[in-house]
Amino acid sequence: MTVFKTFWQIIKRYKMMILLYTFLLLLFGGLNMKTNDTSLNFVDSKPDIMMIHEDEAIGITKSLIDYMSLHANVSIVSEMSEEIDDALFYRQFNYVIFIPKNYRSDVLNGLKPSITVKSTGDYQASLASMLLDRFLKTQEAFVDSKLSEQEILKAIDDALQDRTEVVVTSKLDMNELSQVTQYFNFASYTLMATIIFIICLVLSSFHEEKVKNRILVSKMSYRVHNRLILMASFGYMLFVFLLFLLFGFLLFGFSLLTWRGFFYFCNAFFFLFVSLTLAILISNLVQKKEAVSGIVNVIALGSAFLCGAFVPVEWLPSSVLKIAHVLPTYWYIQGNEFLKTAEKLQISELGPLAQNMFFLVLFGIGFLGLNLLLLRMKQKRNG
Amino acid sequence: MFWHNVKYSWKVLFHNRVLLFWTFLFPILLGTFFKMAFSDIEKKESLDIISVAVVRSSDYENNVVMKEALTQLSIEGENQLFDIIYSSEEEATQQLQDGDIEGYFKFVDDQVQIVVNQSGIDGTIMRFVIDEINGRKKIIESLVEQQIQDRIHEGNWDGIMEPIIEEVKNNVLQSKANIKDASSSNMSYTMIEYYTLIAMACLYSSMIAMFITNYKLANMKAVGKRIVVSPSHKISGLFGSFVASYLVGAIGLFLLFLYTIFVLKVDYGNRLWPVILIACIGLIAGQMLGLSVAALIKSNENTKTGVLVALSMFGSFLSGMMGITMKYVIDTNLPILNLVNPVAMITDGLYSLYYYESFSRYSFDLLSLILFSLLMIIVSFRGLRRQQYDSI
Repeated sequence: MTVFKTFWQIIKRYKMMILLYTFLLLLFGGLNMKTNDTSLNFVDSKPDIMMIHEDEAIGITKSLIDYMSLHANVSIVSEMSEEIDDALFYRQFNYVIFIPKNYRSDVLNGLKPSITVKSTGDYQASLASMLLDRFLKTQEAFVDSKLSEQEILKAIDDALQDRTEVVVTSKLDMNELSQVTQYFNFASYTLMATIIFIICLVLSSFHEEKVKNRILVSKMSYRVHNRLILMASFGYMLFVFLLFLLFGFLLFGFSLLTWRGFFYFCNAFFFLFVSLTLAILISNLVQKKEAVSGIVNVIALGSAFLCGAFVPVEWLPSSVLKIAHVLPTYWYIQGNEFLKTAEKLQISELGPLAQNMFFLVLFGIGFLGLNLLLLRMKQKRNG
Repeated sequence: MFWHNVKYSWKVLFHNRVLLFWTFLFPILLGTFFKMAFSDIEKKESLDIISVAVVRSSDYENNVVMKEALTQLSIEGENQLFDIIYSSEEEATQQLQDGDIEGYFKFVDDQVQIVVNQSGIDGTIMRFVIDEINGRKKIIESLVEQQIQDRIHEGNWDGIMEPIIEEVKNNVLQSKANIKDASSSNMSYTMIEYYTLIAMACLYSSMIAMFITNYKLANMKAVGKRIVVSPSHKISGLFGSFVASYLVGAIGLFLLFLYTIFVLKVDYGNRLWPVILIACIGLIAGQMLGLSVAALIKSNENTKTGVLVALSMFGSFLSGMMGITMKYVIDTNLPILNLVNPVAMITDGLYSLYYYESFSRYSFDLLSLILFSLLMIIVSFRGLRRQQYDSI
């Protein structure tokens, strides 16, 4: 019991660190809780566009603004400024459209005035550009045909009003599932860092020369002592898991009380187990407390960057994903990604998830085996 | 005495492996992680060829306009939008389920139906293309009808439609929108990550300054006690230590610059000297922050390190290291926070050199950093001067 109590007393000393990682997890989860359209019908992607018009918003100018507003999220601003350039660079907007003065009259007089645009060059900006291009070409086609402005506007409306039917096959609410998956993926960093950091610091306290010698001369056998340390570490892991469970329910409510939610947590539990075994291995490899922080940052941050905890997996280069296969975080995140898109969760369909969990267990056993080997070597060296 | 201090401070600093890790190795490792994770983001965010299927049917074969348009859009080249697989409906459904295609087109009579797995940009573009083809068809029909009416009205209608259709079709299909693109060529927003990395490295050098200043404090190290009771000139000693710690920080920063430029291929724009200048001033700001924390916080080295790491990381977080848009969010909603944040000042200075032509914003950032450093110097000297101890 003394060992157990001491373990938790040391953990108490690092409560600020645990709070910091918990805060990070909550902050990230909270930031991803943006409300999106949750319809199961097809919803068009809408680029974010900023429009600046020096011309009065009537007639053709208004028609252009209305068309863009129908297909994009449009914000109207009064003039071009540095703030707009900043917003474009930081992808708050995908596209900026500048309508010059006298645009309407110039169009009606057949002068073909130019529209100035600024673009981020991404997918959404391309869509915005296609929309603008479509409107301007339609407008041009009718302006040349000697029609009155009212007739032109009606003809443009008629030509642009077609909407093709789009059928969505998936019955999953992808917005919510994406948020949940991002929360679980990001947690790979916070969970691994919290476990490795704290367990290494606590165990390195037990590995201090004086403490170690006192343990050796005490009547408690080394094996019992080790077992108690392992049990206490496992207890700490359970505590972190429960905290994670609690925050999950706090952020996503009862939507996690489903079979899908259960499998997400199962996956996280296996990942925590691997992190624990890795932490124990590191604590036996590294004796200096000062080195722990560096090691945690390299392992936890490195895994998070390479496996898709910070950047969505589909955006990672394939070469990076190939390297990531040797890291447990990769298999954990792949499990989450499978749960995000799996239509049915029947036993027969859970093969990929089971495979990912199997690899996690394999990593755990591997780390434990290496740890045992290391301890044997140490014992031999010490005679 | 000054050079003696520089030499021994230099030696002390190079013997601390943990400090060297944070100064030299950690920023390089972090930069490598950034490169690995972000290298494809911008490429994958731009419009790419969309894999689609077309369900083979007699309705598709009979729809000449659509067939021709989709074939044109799938020809390899600059304007290719689709990579088309022709299959049966069952095959297309399976391909969609397996993720081999983003969606498929199904033709029923003269209508087109699009089937996708979920809402998204690919489905939107598929819909846009079909709407566009239908729209153009409508425009041509409408203009042809109008031209015929005009000719009938003018009394020169000869009853032959083909030349009119051909003329209208050519006009509509060859028309070009008059759009002037004024986008900046420097739009790579992942550069912000590397700029925050440089800024973080500048601020991390505060740990070097704090560590070496502790050697001058009687309440921190035995060496400090000896220095305090010795008749040596305190300012000269402190300045010597500062020079050594600045040099160590500068070497770390120099290596990081070399690594980011030649290995990670970071684009700092074409104005290298202003980039170096702001990094050097940023390094002074970091060092002065370390000096003031060493002087003001009466606690052990671990606490001081904790405070500096927390300040640097929080500053980096606000500047966009953990999410690029964070800097923009703070700049627009709580600008005061980034006006006093040296990491944001350095990041913003580098960003303005990369993105803007004018130097006004850069100059403001530089001035802010100098003011911050001066403030830290004043605070440190007020904390350090006339220290007296009855007992330690």
